[in-house]
Amino acid sequence: MKDKNPLSPHIQIYSWHISSLVSISHRITGIINIFIITLVCCWLAYLLLGSKNYEIIFNFFGTYIGKFLIVGSVWSFSFQALSEIRHLFWDLGFGFEIKTSNITGVLVIFGSFILTIFFILIKNSLL
Amino acid sequence: MVQINLPKNSKIQKGKYYKDNTGSNNIRKVNVYRWDPSNEENPRIDTYEVDMNNCPSKVLDILNKIKNEIDPSLAYRRSCSHGVCGSCAMNMDGKNGLACTKSHSEIKGDINIYPLPHLKVLKDLIGDLSILYKQYESVEPWLKTSKKSEKENIQSMEDRSKLDGLYECIMCACCSTACPSYWWNGEKYLGPAVLLQAYRWIVDSRDEDRKERLKKVADELKLYRCHTIMNCTNACPKGLNPAKAIASIKKMLATS
Repeated sequence: MKDKNPLSPHIQIYSWHISSLVSISHRITGIINIFIITLVCCWLAYLLLGSKNYEIIFNFFGTYIGKFLIVGSVWSFSFQALSEIRHLFWDLGFGFEIKTSNITGVLVIFGSFILTIFFILIKNSLL
Repeated sequence: MVQINLPKNSKIQKGKYYKDNTGSNNIRKVNVYRWDPSNEENPRIDTYEVDMNNCPSKVLDILNKIKNEIDPSLAYRRSCSHGVCGSCAMNMDGKNGLACTKSHSEIKGDINIYPLPHLKVLKDLIGDLSILYKQYESVEPWLKTSKKSEKENIQSMEDRSKLDGLYECIMCACCSTACPSYWWNGEKYLGPAVLLQAYRWIVDSRDEDRKERLKKVADELKLYRCHTIMNCTNACPKGLNPAKAIASIKKMLATS
Protein backbone atom coordinates (compact mmCIF):
# COMPACT_ATOMS: atom_id res chain seq x y z
CA MET A 1 0.00 0.00 0.00
CA LYS A 2 2.73 2.41 1.01
CA ASP A 3 4.51 2.28 -2.36
CA LYS A 4 1.34 3.21 -4.15
CA ASN A 5 0.77 6.33 -2.05
CA PRO A 6 2.46 9.42 -3.42
CA LEU A 7 4.89 11.52 -1.42
CA SER A 8 3.58 15.00 -0.70
CA PRO A 9 5.68 17.81 -2.21
CA HIS A 10 8.28 19.27 0.15
CA ILE A 11 11.22 21.44 -0.93
CA GLN A 12 9.37 22.22 -4.18
CA ILE A 13 6.63 24.11 -2.36
CA TYR A 14 8.07 25.16 0.99
CA SER A 15 8.82 28.86 1.19
CA TRP A 16 12.29 30.00 2.25
CA HIS A 17 12.99 31.78 5.49
CA ILE A 18 16.10 33.79 6.29
CA SER A 19 17.12 31.09 8.75
CA SER A 20 16.84 28.23 6.24
CA LEU A 21 18.64 30.28 3.59
CA VAL A 22 21.57 31.01 5.91
CA SER A 23 21.60 27.37 7.04
CA ILE A 24 21.94 25.95 3.52
CA SER A 25 24.52 28.63 2.61
CA HIS A 26 26.47 27.67 5.73
CA ARG A 27 26.68 24.10 4.43
CA ILE A 28 27.58 25.09 0.87
CA THR A 29 30.30 27.54 1.95
CA GLY A 30 31.63 24.85 4.30
CA ILE A 31 32.08 22.46 1.39
CA ILE A 32 33.57 25.19 -0.82
CA ASN A 33 36.02 26.09 1.96
CA ILE A 34 37.40 22.54 1.99
CA PHE A 35 38.29 22.95 -1.69
CA ILE A 36 39.74 26.41 -1.11
CA ILE A 37 41.98 25.19 1.72
CA THR A 38 43.15 22.28 -0.45
CA LEU A 39 43.94 24.73 -3.26
CA VAL A 40 45.84 27.03 -0.90
CA CYS A 41 47.91 24.06 0.31
CA CYS A 42 48.68 23.06 -3.30
CA TRP A 43 49.62 26.64 -4.04
CA LEU A 44 52.03 26.80 -1.09
CA ALA A 45 53.60 23.47 -2.06
CA TYR A 46 53.97 24.76 -5.61
CA LEU A 47 55.78 27.88 -4.37
CA LEU A 48 58.46 25.71 -2.78
CA LEU A 49 59.49 24.66 -6.25
CA GLY A 50 60.91 28.08 -7.11
CA SER A 51 60.35 31.72 -7.89
CA LYS A 52 59.28 31.07 -11.48
CA ASN A 53 56.18 29.34 -10.17
CA TYR A 54 55.35 32.37 -8.09
CA GLU A 55 55.28 34.43 -11.26
CA ILE A 56 52.85 32.04 -12.96
CA ILE A 57 50.41 32.10 -10.06
CA PHE A 58 50.74 35.83 -9.59
CA ASN A 59 49.81 36.35 -13.23
CA PHE A 60 46.88 33.96 -12.89
CA PHE A 61 45.50 35.94 -9.96
CA GLY A 62 45.64 39.02 -12.17
CA THR A 63 43.11 37.53 -14.61
CA TYR A 64 39.36 37.88 -14.15
CA ILE A 65 39.00 34.23 -13.16
CA GLY A 66 41.80 34.65 -10.64
CA LYS A 67 40.25 37.79 -9.18
CA PHE A 68 36.86 36.10 -8.96
CA LEU A 69 38.48 33.18 -7.14
CA ILE A 70 40.04 35.51 -4.58
CA VAL A 71 36.88 37.54 -3.95
CA GLY A 72 34.75 34.37 -3.87
CA SER A 73 37.07 32.68 -1.38
CA VAL A 74 37.14 35.69 0.90
CA TRP A 75 33.35 35.88 0.85
CA SER A 76 32.97 32.15 1.48
CA PHE A 77 35.29 32.30 4.49
CA SER A 78 33.65 35.48 5.83
CA PHE A 79 30.19 33.93 5.59
CA GLN A 80 31.27 30.69 7.24
CA ALA A 81 33.03 32.52 10.08
CA LEU A 82 30.09 34.82 10.86
CA SER A 83 27.56 32.02 10.59
CA GLU A 84 29.70 29.89 12.89
CA ILE A 85 29.69 32.66 15.49
CA ARG A 86 25.89 32.60 15.24
CA HIS A 87 25.97 28.85 15.84
CA LEU A 88 28.22 29.33 18.89
CA PHE A 89 25.64 31.64 20.45
CA TRP A 90 22.94 29.07 19.71
CA ASP A 91 25.04 26.39 21.39
CA LEU A 92 25.13 28.59 24.50
CA GLY A 93 21.35 28.79 24.35
CA PHE A 94 20.89 32.33 23.03
CA GLY A 95 19.16 33.76 19.97
CA PHE A 96 16.39 31.26 19.31
CA GLU A 97 13.49 33.71 19.15
CA ILE A 98 12.25 34.14 15.59
CA LYS A 99 12.94 37.87 15.62
CA THR A 100 16.47 37.48 16.98
CA SER A 101 17.33 34.69 14.58
CA ASN A 102 16.06 36.76 11.65
CA ILE A 103 18.17 39.73 12.70
CA THR A 104 21.31 37.62 13.22
CA GLY A 105 20.64 35.90 9.88
CA VAL A 106 20.49 39.22 8.05
CA LEU A 107 23.61 40.35 9.94
CA VAL A 108 25.46 37.25 8.71
CA ILE A 109 24.41 37.88 5.09
CA PHE A 110 25.28 41.58 5.04
CA GLY A 111 28.28 41.11 7.30
CA SER A 112 29.83 38.60 4.92
CA PHE A 113 29.74 41.17 2.09
CA ILE A 114 31.06 43.95 4.32
CA LEU A 115 33.91 41.73 5.54
CA THR A 116 34.71 40.80 1.94
CA ILE A 117 34.95 44.44 0.89
CA PHE A 118 37.02 45.17 4.02
CA PHE A 119 39.54 42.42 3.23
CA ILE A 120 39.79 43.39 -0.44
CA LEU A 121 40.45 47.00 0.58
CA ILE A 122 43.23 45.84 2.91
CA LYS A 123 44.68 43.73 0.11
CA ASN A 124 44.60 46.66 -2.32
CA SER A 125 46.25 49.01 0.16
CA LEU A 126 49.06 46.50 0.73
CA LEU A 127 49.81 45.96 -2.96
CA MET B 1 18.95 10.22 2.00
CA VAL B 2 18.49 13.58 0.31
CA GLN B 3 16.16 13.23 -2.60
CA ILE B 4 15.22 16.58 -4.09
CA ASN B 5 12.87 15.36 -6.82
CA LEU B 6 9.54 13.71 -6.17
CA PRO B 7 9.20 10.03 -7.10
CA LYS B 8 7.51 9.22 -10.40
CA ASN B 9 4.10 8.41 -8.90
CA SER B 10 4.11 11.68 -6.94
CA LYS B 11 4.65 14.12 -9.81
CA ILE B 12 1.83 16.63 -9.77
CA GLN B 13 -0.45 17.07 -12.77
CA LYS B 14 -2.84 19.77 -13.76
CA GLY B 15 -6.31 19.00 -12.48
CA LYS B 16 -9.85 20.21 -12.97
CA TYR B 17 -11.01 23.81 -12.99
CA TYR B 18 -14.19 24.62 -11.10
CA LYS B 19 -15.64 27.86 -12.39
CA ASP B 20 -17.65 30.07 -10.07
CA ASN B 21 -21.39 29.79 -10.61
CA THR B 22 -22.59 32.33 -8.04
CA GLY B 23 -21.80 35.36 -10.19
CA SER B 24 -19.93 36.95 -7.29
CA ASN B 25 -17.75 40.00 -7.85
CA ASN B 26 -15.24 38.88 -5.22
CA ILE B 27 -13.62 35.69 -6.45
CA ARG B 28 -10.41 34.02 -5.29
CA LYS B 29 -8.68 31.13 -6.94
CA VAL B 30 -7.84 28.29 -4.60
CA ASN B 31 -5.43 25.59 -5.77
CA VAL B 32 -5.80 22.36 -3.83
CA TYR B 33 -3.64 19.21 -3.94
CA ARG B 34 -5.78 16.18 -4.78
CA TRP B 35 -5.03 12.49 -4.81
CA ASP B 36 -7.57 9.72 -5.00
CA PRO B 37 -6.41 6.30 -3.73
CA SER B 38 -9.15 4.50 -5.66
CA ASN B 39 -7.49 5.00 -9.04
CA GLU B 40 -3.97 4.79 -10.42
CA GLU B 41 -3.63 8.43 -11.37
CA ASN B 42 -0.92 10.79 -10.15
CA PRO B 43 -1.77 13.62 -7.76
CA ARG B 44 -3.23 16.74 -9.35
CA ILE B 45 -3.93 20.35 -8.49
CA ASP B 46 -7.61 21.31 -8.73
CA THR B 47 -8.48 24.96 -8.98
CA TYR B 48 -11.65 26.31 -7.39
CA GLU B 49 -13.11 29.75 -7.86
CA VAL B 50 -14.49 30.68 -4.44
CA ASP B 51 -16.98 33.46 -3.69
CA MET B 52 -15.26 35.42 -0.91
CA ASN B 53 -18.29 37.63 -0.18
CA ASN B 54 -19.89 34.73 1.65
CA CYS B 55 -16.85 33.16 3.25
CA PRO B 56 -15.60 33.56 6.86
CA SER B 57 -12.03 34.56 7.56
CA LYS B 58 -9.97 31.38 7.83
CA VAL B 59 -8.51 29.02 5.26
CA LEU B 60 -10.50 26.18 6.82
CA ASP B 61 -13.67 28.12 6.03
CA ILE B 62 -12.66 28.11 2.38
CA LEU B 63 -12.15 24.34 2.45
CA ASN B 64 -15.50 23.83 4.18
CA LYS B 65 -17.13 26.03 1.56
CA ILE B 66 -15.56 24.04 -1.26
CA LYS B 67 -16.64 20.76 0.32
CA ASN B 68 -20.17 21.92 1.07
CA GLU B 69 -20.93 23.91 -2.05
CA ILE B 70 -18.57 22.96 -4.88
CA ASP B 71 -16.91 19.55 -4.56
CA PRO B 72 -17.95 17.12 -1.79
CA SER B 73 -15.20 14.67 -2.77
CA LEU B 74 -12.47 16.84 -1.17
CA ALA B 75 -10.91 15.12 1.85
CA TYR B 76 -9.11 16.85 4.74
CA ARG B 77 -8.87 16.44 8.49
CA ARG B 78 -10.53 18.95 10.81
CA SER B 79 -12.21 18.86 14.14
CA CYS B 80 -12.22 21.69 16.68
CA SER B 81 -11.63 24.63 14.30
CA HIS B 82 -10.16 26.63 17.19
CA GLY B 83 -6.48 25.75 16.97
CA VAL B 84 -6.62 23.23 19.80
CA CYS B 85 -6.85 19.78 18.24
CA GLY B 86 -4.20 20.10 15.53
CA SER B 87 -6.15 18.09 12.96
CA CYS B 88 -6.22 20.63 10.14
CA ALA B 89 -2.45 21.07 9.87
CA MET B 90 -1.51 21.58 6.23
CA ASN B 91 0.75 23.57 3.96
CA MET B 92 -0.79 26.89 2.94
CA ASP B 93 1.03 29.45 0.83
CA GLY B 94 4.28 27.50 1.24
CA LYS B 95 4.14 27.44 5.02
CA ASN B 96 2.84 24.87 7.44
CA GLY B 97 0.08 25.90 9.78
CA LEU B 98 -3.41 25.19 11.02
CA ALA B 99 -6.10 25.94 8.44
CA CYS B 100 -8.45 26.99 11.24
CA THR B 101 -6.18 29.73 12.59
CA LYS B 102 -4.64 30.96 9.33
CA SER B 103 -6.48 33.95 7.87
CA HIS B 104 -6.83 33.88 4.11
CA SER B 105 -6.40 37.68 4.07
CA GLU B 106 -2.74 37.09 5.04
CA ILE B 107 -2.17 35.27 1.75
CA LYS B 108 -1.46 37.31 -1.35
CA GLY B 109 -2.63 36.12 -4.76
CA ASP B 110 -3.96 32.63 -5.36
CA ILE B 111 -4.25 30.37 -2.34
CA ASN B 112 -2.17 27.19 -2.66
CA ILE B 113 -3.04 24.35 -0.31
CA TYR B 114 -0.97 21.18 -0.02
CA PRO B 115 -0.80 18.38 2.54
CA LEU B 116 1.98 18.54 5.15
CA PRO B 117 5.28 18.12 3.26
CA HIS B 118 7.15 14.85 2.70
CA LEU B 119 4.48 12.49 3.99
CA LYS B 120 2.83 9.52 2.31
CA VAL B 121 -0.52 10.88 1.17
CA LEU B 122 -3.58 8.86 2.21
CA LYS B 123 -6.07 11.03 0.35
CA ASP B 124 -6.10 14.65 -0.86
CA LEU B 125 -4.83 16.76 2.07
CA ILE B 126 -4.43 13.88 4.50
CA GLY B 127 -0.87 12.73 5.16
CA ASP B 128 0.21 9.57 6.97
CA LEU B 129 1.67 10.48 10.37
CA SER B 130 2.08 6.95 11.72
CA ILE B 131 5.91 7.14 11.75
CA LEU B 132 5.75 10.32 13.81
CA TYR B 133 3.32 8.73 16.27
CA LYS B 134 5.63 5.71 16.66
CA GLN B 135 8.53 8.06 17.37
CA TYR B 136 6.38 9.90 19.88
CA GLU B 137 5.69 6.61 21.62
CA SER B 138 9.43 5.84 21.65
CA VAL B 139 10.17 8.80 23.97
CA GLU B 140 7.65 7.38 26.48
CA PRO B 141 5.66 10.57 26.99
CA TRP B 142 4.32 9.80 30.44
CA LEU B 143 5.41 10.45 34.00
CA LYS B 144 7.81 7.92 35.44
CA THR B 145 8.00 7.97 39.20
CA SER B 146 8.38 5.47 42.00
CA LYS B 147 6.30 7.62 44.37
CA LYS B 148 2.89 6.31 45.10
CA SER B 149 1.52 9.15 47.14
CA GLU B 150 -2.13 9.49 47.90
CA LYS B 151 -1.98 13.24 47.47
CA GLU B 152 -1.21 15.24 44.37
CA ASN B 153 2.39 15.41 43.19
CA ILE B 154 3.30 19.01 44.00
CA GLN B 155 5.68 21.17 41.97
CA SER B 156 7.22 24.51 42.92
CA MET B 157 6.18 27.53 40.84
CA GLU B 158 9.67 27.64 39.41
CA ASP B 159 9.68 23.97 38.38
CA ARG B 160 6.25 24.29 36.88
CA SER B 161 7.30 27.32 34.82
CA LYS B 162 9.92 25.15 33.08
CA LEU B 163 7.07 23.37 31.31
CA ASP B 164 5.67 26.58 29.84
CA GLY B 165 6.20 26.67 26.10
CA LEU B 166 6.35 22.85 26.08
CA TYR B 167 3.06 21.53 27.45
CA GLU B 168 1.05 23.63 24.97
CA CYS B 169 2.15 21.47 22.03
CA ILE B 170 -0.83 19.92 20.24
CA MET B 171 1.19 17.48 18.12
CA CYS B 172 -0.11 18.86 14.84
CA ALA B 173 3.21 17.97 13.14
CA CYS B 174 3.56 21.37 11.45
CA CYS B 175 7.13 21.69 12.78
CA SER B 176 8.40 18.20 12.00
CA THR B 177 7.09 18.27 8.44
CA ALA B 178 8.63 21.73 7.91
CA CYS B 179 12.10 20.45 8.80
CA PRO B 180 14.42 19.54 5.90
CA SER B 181 16.42 17.26 8.21
CA TYR B 182 13.22 15.40 8.99
CA TRP B 183 12.40 15.17 5.27
CA TRP B 184 15.72 13.47 4.50
CA ASN B 185 16.01 11.35 7.66
CA GLY B 186 12.42 11.02 8.82
CA GLU B 187 12.73 7.40 9.83
CA LYS B 188 15.74 7.91 12.11
CA TYR B 189 15.77 11.56 13.18
CA LEU B 190 13.04 12.14 15.76
CA GLY B 191 12.13 15.59 14.48
CA PRO B 192 11.23 18.79 16.35
CA ALA B 193 7.75 17.77 17.57
CA VAL B 194 8.93 14.57 19.25
CA LEU B 195 12.13 16.13 20.60
CA LEU B 196 10.12 18.97 22.15
CA GLN B 197 7.99 16.34 23.86
CA ALA B 198 11.10 14.43 24.94
CA TYR B 199 12.41 17.65 26.49
CA ARG B 200 9.06 18.29 28.15
CA TRP B 201 9.52 15.08 30.18
CA ILE B 202 13.27 15.59 30.69
CA VAL B 203 12.72 18.91 32.48
CA ASP B 204 9.68 17.80 34.48
CA SER B 205 10.78 17.97 38.12
CA ARG B 206 8.42 15.12 39.08
CA ASP B 207 9.95 12.70 36.61
CA GLU B 208 12.64 10.37 37.99
CA ASP B 209 13.85 8.98 34.69
CA ARG B 210 15.75 12.02 33.42
CA LYS B 211 19.13 10.29 33.01
CA GLU B 212 17.65 7.39 31.08
CA ARG B 213 15.62 9.73 28.91
CA LEU B 214 18.69 11.80 28.06
CA LYS B 215 20.71 8.68 27.31
CA LYS B 216 18.04 7.35 25.03
CA VAL B 217 17.78 10.52 22.98
CA ALA B 218 21.57 11.16 22.75
CA ASP B 219 22.13 9.73 19.32
CA GLU B 220 23.83 10.99 16.17
CA LEU B 221 20.66 10.44 14.15
CA LYS B 222 17.86 10.78 16.69
CA LEU B 223 18.96 14.16 18.04
CA TYR B 224 21.99 15.61 16.29
CA ARG B 225 20.42 15.74 12.84
CA CYS B 226 19.05 19.07 14.03
CA HIS B 227 21.17 21.74 12.35
CA THR B 228 19.17 24.68 13.68
CA ILE B 229 17.50 25.44 10.37
CA MET B 230 14.68 26.98 12.47
CA ASN B 231 11.89 26.02 10.07
CA CYS B 232 10.17 24.34 13.03
CA THR B 233 9.96 27.50 15.11
CA ASN B 234 8.86 29.50 12.08
CA ALA B 235 6.08 27.00 11.41
CA CYS B 236 4.65 26.39 14.90
CA PRO B 237 1.02 27.64 14.95
CA LYS B 238 1.10 27.79 18.76
CA GLY B 239 4.19 30.02 18.86
CA LEU B 240 6.35 27.42 20.59
CA ASN B 241 10.08 27.04 20.02
CA PRO B 242 11.13 23.44 19.24
CA ALA B 243 14.57 24.62 18.05
CA LYS B 244 15.26 26.01 21.51
CA ALA B 245 14.02 22.84 23.20
CA ILE B 246 16.33 20.71 21.04
CA ALA B 247 19.25 23.04 21.81
CA SER B 248 18.44 22.72 25.51
CA ILE B 249 18.70 18.92 25.25
CA LYS B 250 22.03 19.26 23.44
CA LYS B 251 23.26 21.67 26.11
CA MET B 252 22.16 19.34 28.91
CA LEU B 253 24.05 16.48 27.28
CA ALA B 254 27.15 18.60 26.80
CA THR B 255 27.20 19.83 30.39
CA SER B 256 26.09 16.73 32.30
